[in-house]
Amino acid sequence: MVDLIKEAISIGWPVFLLLIGLLLYLQAKLSDPGEKKSATFKIMIGMLCAFLVFVAIANYKNNFYGESRLLPVSLVMITVMAFIMGMYFPNIGALMKIGGFMFFVAAALSGYGNWLPQVEGGFPPPEVKLDFQSMTAQQLGDEGEKIIFGGIGQSKTQGAIGKGQCPLCHGFQQGFLSERAPNLFDIPARATKRLEEPNYHMNDAASRPSVQKEAFEGSGTATNAQEYIAESHACPSCYVVPGFGVKGSNDTESPMPKIHKPPISLTLGELAAVDTWMYVREGLESPSYEEITASYEKFIPEADRPAEGGEEEAGPAGGVLADGSEPMDKLFMKAGCPGCHTVPGIEGATGKVGPVLYEGSNAPNRIKDPGYKGKAKSVREYVTESILDPSVYVVKDFPDNQMPKDFGVKLSAGAVNKIVDYLSQLKEGQPLPPKE
Amino acid sequence: MGRLSTQMTRKNKRLLAASLLVTMGVMLLMPIIMAIPALAGGGGAPAGGPPPDVVAAQKEAAEGEGEEEKIEMGRDVYYKTEGPAVGMPAPKTEDNETFYPRYNFESRVLLWFANQQHLYYGSFVLAVPIFCMCIEFAGMVSKDKAMAKKYDQLAYDFIKISLTAYSLTAILGGILIFTFLTLYPAFFGYLSSIFRPVMHIYALMFVAESGTLYIYYYGWDKMREGILKWIHVSMSVILNVIGTVLMFLANSWIAFMMSPAGVDEQGRYLGNIWHVLHTALWNPLNVHRILGNMAFGGGVVAAYAAYRFLSSKTDEERAHYDWMGYIAMSLGVAFLIPLPFAGYWLMREVYAYRQQMGITLMGGLLAWLFIIQATMIGILFLTTNYYLWQALGRMTGGERFQKYIKYLVFILVVGLLIFITPHTIVMTPAELKAMGGQQHPVLGNYGVMSAKNGGINAIIMTTILSFIWYQRGNRVPTVSWAKFGNIFMGCFFLIAQLNNVWLACYGYFIPANVRIGLSVPQVAGTLSCLILMTPLNLAMLKGGRQLGPIQWGKIPPRSQYALIMLATAFTWMMGLMGYIRSSVRLFWHVNEIMRDNSPWAYTHTIGFAANVISFNVLFFWISIMFVFWLGTLGAKKAPVTGPVTQPVPGTPAPQPVTGH
Repeated sequence: MVDLIKEAISIGWPVFLLLIGLLLYLQAKLSDPGEKKSATFKIMIGMLCAFLVFVAIANYKNNFYGESRLLPVSLVMITVMAFIMGMYFPNIGALMKIGGFMFFVAAALSGYGNWLPQVEGGFPPPEVKLDFQSMTAQQLGDEGEKIIFGGIGQSKTQGAIGKGQCPLCHGFQQGFLSERAPNLFDIPARATKRLEEPNYHMNDAASRPSVQKEAFEGSGTATNAQEYIAESHACPSCYVVPGFGVKGSNDTESPMPKIHKPPISLTLGELAAVDTWMYVREGLESPSYEEITASYEKFIPEADRPAEGGEEEAGPAGGVLADGSEPMDKLFMKAGCPGCHTVPGIEGATGKVGPVLYEGSNAPNRIKDPGYKGKAKSVREYVTESILDPSVYVVKDFPDNQMPKDFGVKLSAGAVNKIVDYLSQLKEGQPLPPKE
Repeated sequence: MGRLSTQMTRKNKRLLAASLLVTMGVMLLMPIIMAIPALAGGGGAPAGGPPPDVVAAQKEAAEGEGEEEKIEMGRDVYYKTEGPAVGMPAPKTEDNETFYPRYNFESRVLLWFANQQHLYYGSFVLAVPIFCMCIEFAGMVSKDKAMAKKYDQLAYDFIKISLTAYSLTAILGGILIFTFLTLYPAFFGYLSSIFRPVMHIYALMFVAESGTLYIYYYGWDKMREGILKWIHVSMSVILNVIGTVLMFLANSWIAFMMSPAGVDEQGRYLGNIWHVLHTALWNPLNVHRILGNMAFGGGVVAAYAAYRFLSSKTDEERAHYDWMGYIAMSLGVAFLIPLPFAGYWLMREVYAYRQQMGITLMGGLLAWLFIIQATMIGILFLTTNYYLWQALGRMTGGERFQKYIKYLVFILVVGLLIFITPHTIVMTPAELKAMGGQQHPVLGNYGVMSAKNGGINAIIMTTILSFIWYQRGNRVPTVSWAKFGNIFMGCFFLIAQLNNVWLACYGYFIPANVRIGLSVPQVAGTLSCLILMTPLNLAMLKGGRQLGPIQWGKIPPRSQYALIMLATAFTWMMGLMGYIRSSVRLFWHVNEIMRDNSPWAYTHTIGFAANVISFNVLFFWISIMFVFWLGTLGAKKAPVTGPVTQPVPGTPAPQPVTGH
C-alpha cells in the first residue's frame, strides 16, 4: 500500500502542486472568510479526488500483468471519486454521477470476471520442421525418446508417455513393470535370438502358426535384428512372443496395434527415430537412417505409409495428451485407449488387453458388485472413477496395475468429460451413441 | 402570367434540385457499380503481400531450389475448388522484431484497444442512420403535422450526434491501420494482399458514405417539403445501403481470419475474390453485427438522452429527453430480442465449420466467458423491466400495477439465479479429481439445460408482461370483448409459464440428448406471448379510455440510471463477445493458414480480459461524452413551446429544445 501511495505521488505530483498553488492563491486573493472557507474545502475535496485517481492509476500500472485481480479496485476508487465530485461540484454533478455509475458497473463486471476461476490458454507447441534424414544418430535418438516418452530424459520416468504410446504396455528399463507386452530392454541383442526361435519360421512365413503370416503378401520374414524390430512394429501378429498374445488365442494374435496405422500412425522417419533410440541408449551403434527406413519399407507397402508431414502436430498445450477439442475418434486415439481396449464405434479401437468398454451396460453391474469399493453412484461417476483411479475396481479376469494411473493429469478435464460421455452411452446390443 | 411564371420557376428549381441530387446519388453509388465487375470477375491477382524482405527471402529460397517461375494450381481450403495460386503464401512468421515490431508493452493489447474503439464508434455511426431513416419516415407519413415535426426533429437530433462521432470513427480507423502496420506488418501485409481486389472499393465506399452523410445532414432544412423530402428520405436509404456494404466488407476480414476460404493450404490467393469474401462465417457475422449495432446504437442514444435529462434545467428539456430516452431504449431492446437467435445461428455455423472451435467456445477454454454473458443477459432484462416499472410512474393510472411488481421481481430473480447456474464446469484435471466429476455435488443437480432455458424464458415472458402493463399504464380497454380478452391473455401467459416450468423440471428425468429438444417448446411459448399477446393488447386498447396523460419528464431520475446501465452493459457485452470471437482462433492469425508466432500467442485469463474490456468500455464512454459535450456547444437554444404531456404511450409530444 505504501508503495502504491508513493507511486501515486510520483505520477500525480504536478497536479497536487497545482492544487496547492491554487489553494495558496485563493487564500491570498479571497477576503471574504466564507468564500475562503468554501474554496479551501473544495480544493481539499479536489486533492482527495486527485489522490484517489492517481492511486487508481498506480494500481493499474503496478498490477496490470501481475495481480490483475486487483485492477477492479481502481475502478471502485474512481467511482468513489466521481460521486464525491458529483456531490460537491453541482455544475458537473450529472456528468460525474453518470460517469461514476458507469465506473461502478464496469468495476462490478470486471470484479465478476476476476472472481471466476482463471484459466489461461498456454502457448502453442513450437512449430518444428523435422528433417530426420539429416540428423545425427544422437539427434535421431533424442527425437525417438520424445516420441516414446514425450521428452528427452523421460525414459527413466515411470508413466512418461509420448505420441508413440509404447510405455502404455512395454517396459523399457530393466526391472520396470511390463506385463502386457515384452520389456524392450536389450531388444537389439535379443532380436537376433528371436529370429532363431522355432515359432518364428525365418524365411518360411507360410509355416507360421499366427493369424497373420506376413506383413503383406510377398513381404516375407525378417532376416536380421533391425528387420525383426521393423516387422514387429508393422505386423505385430506375424510373430507373438510367448505369453503376450491375445487371451485365448494361444499366442497366435498380438494385442498390439500396427504402429504405422491409426491410432498411432508413426511415419517412417519417426519409426527410424524410435529404433535409433533403442540402440543409442544402450551405447550400441545404430543402423543408418537409410537402413532403418529400408527395413520398414520391406514390411509396409507404399500405399500404407503415413505421409511425412515433417511438422509436429499442434497438440494441446500444457503437456496433456488431449484437451477435449479433438473429434471423438482422435480423442480416444490421443488418450491411448485403443491400444488396450475395444471401444465400439471408435476407429481402430480393437485393443484386447483391457475389457470391452460397454460401460453403459457394465457400470451398473459393477457398482452393485460386492467387491466394488468405490464411491460412484451413477454410470458417469463410475466411468470417471475408473479413468482417474483404475485400481479402485479391477474387472474380473484382468490384472491390476495394467492401466496407467495418471490420466487425471495427462488428459484435460474437457477430454475426460468427453470420453466419459461417450463411454457412458455405450450399451451392448444397442445403437452406437453419436460422436458429438 | 407573373404567377404562372413564378410557379414555373419554382417547378424548374425543384426539377433542377432533384436532377442534381439524383446525379450526386449515382456518383456516390459509383463504387458499388464499379465493384460489381470486380466481384463478378473474381478480382485480379493481388500484387501486395508480405513485407519486401520476407518476399525477397522467399523468392530467393525458391530460386535457390532452381524452380522455374510458373503458376501452380491450388485447392481452395474451404470450397475445395481448383484455382491458379496467384498470390504469395502466408508468411511463416518468427518471434522477432521483423515480423513483430514492438514497444515495451503487449502489442496485442494495443491492437485490441485500437480495434475495439474503432468498432464501437463504427457501430454507433452505422446504427444511428438506420434509426434516423425509420424515424424520419415515420414523421413523413404521419398525418398529424405536429407529430411529424417532432419525429423529424428527433431524427435530426440523432444524426447530429452521429455526425460528431463520424469524424472520430475515421480517425480511429486511421489509428487502427497504423497500429496494424506498426505492430503486425507481416500479418497486415498478407491480409491486404488477399483483399487487394476490394480494397479500393472499401476506400471509395467510405468516401461515398461521408459524402452522402454530409448532404443528408446539411440538406435537412432545404429538403423539408414535397418531393424533396422524399429525396431526403431516399438519401437515408442510400446512406444505409452504403454503410451496410461497408460493414460487410469490414466483416469479411474477420470472417476470413476465422474461417478462411479462397486460398490454398499455404494461404495463396486463388484468384476468386468472392470466395475470399463469402466464407463460412461471413453471413452469420453480418446479421449478428447489424442487430448488435442497432441494440448498441439504441443504448448509446438512450444514455445521451439520460445525460441530457439529468442535466436539464427546465421541465421542457426533461420532457423531451425523457421521450428521446424511451424511444432509443425501445429501439435498442427491440433489436436485442432477436440478437440471441442470430447468435445461435452463428454458433451453429461455427460448429459446422470446425467442431473444435465450437467446443473451445462453449465447452472449453472460453466457456466461463459464456457464464458472464448469461449473467449480462439477465442484467439487461432486469434493467429493462426496472425502467418500464419506473416509467409507469409518469402515467396516471400506472399505480394500479405497482402492487404486482414485487411478484415480477421474484420471478425475475429466481429465473436469473437458475439461468446463471452452471451444470458442467470447465476445470483443471486436479479440480476434476478433487470433485470426483465434472458436476458440482450440489449445484450440479440444478443447472441442467432445460432448467436454464426455463429461467431465461421466464425472464423474457415477465419482460413482455411488463411491457404490456406499460402499454396499459394510463388506458383501460373498452372494446366489447375486453373481459374475454383479459381472461384469454391471462390464461395464455399462465399456460405458457406453466409449460415452461413443467418442461424445465421434466428435463431432470430424461437423458441429455432428449432434454436438448425441450428448448423448442419452451421458446415457442415465449415467442407466442411476444407475437400474439402484444398485438392483442394493442387491439384491446384501441379507442380505450384514458385515465390521464403521460407526463413526460416526470419519471424519477433513477430510471435514467437504468438507461445508463443498459448502455454500459450493452457496451461491455459487445466487448466481451468480440473478445470471445477473436480469441477462439487461439494461436492463429488466420485459422489454420497463418500461425501467430508472436510472444502473445496465448489466451489471457478471464480476469485479464475483463479488465481490458472494462478499460475499453470506459475509454469509449469518456470519449463519447466528450463528443456529446462538443455537440451541445454548437446547439443554440430555441424557445420551447407546447405541452409536456402526451395522452398515448409510445407516441411522443414534447417539443424539441434545439433548432437547426
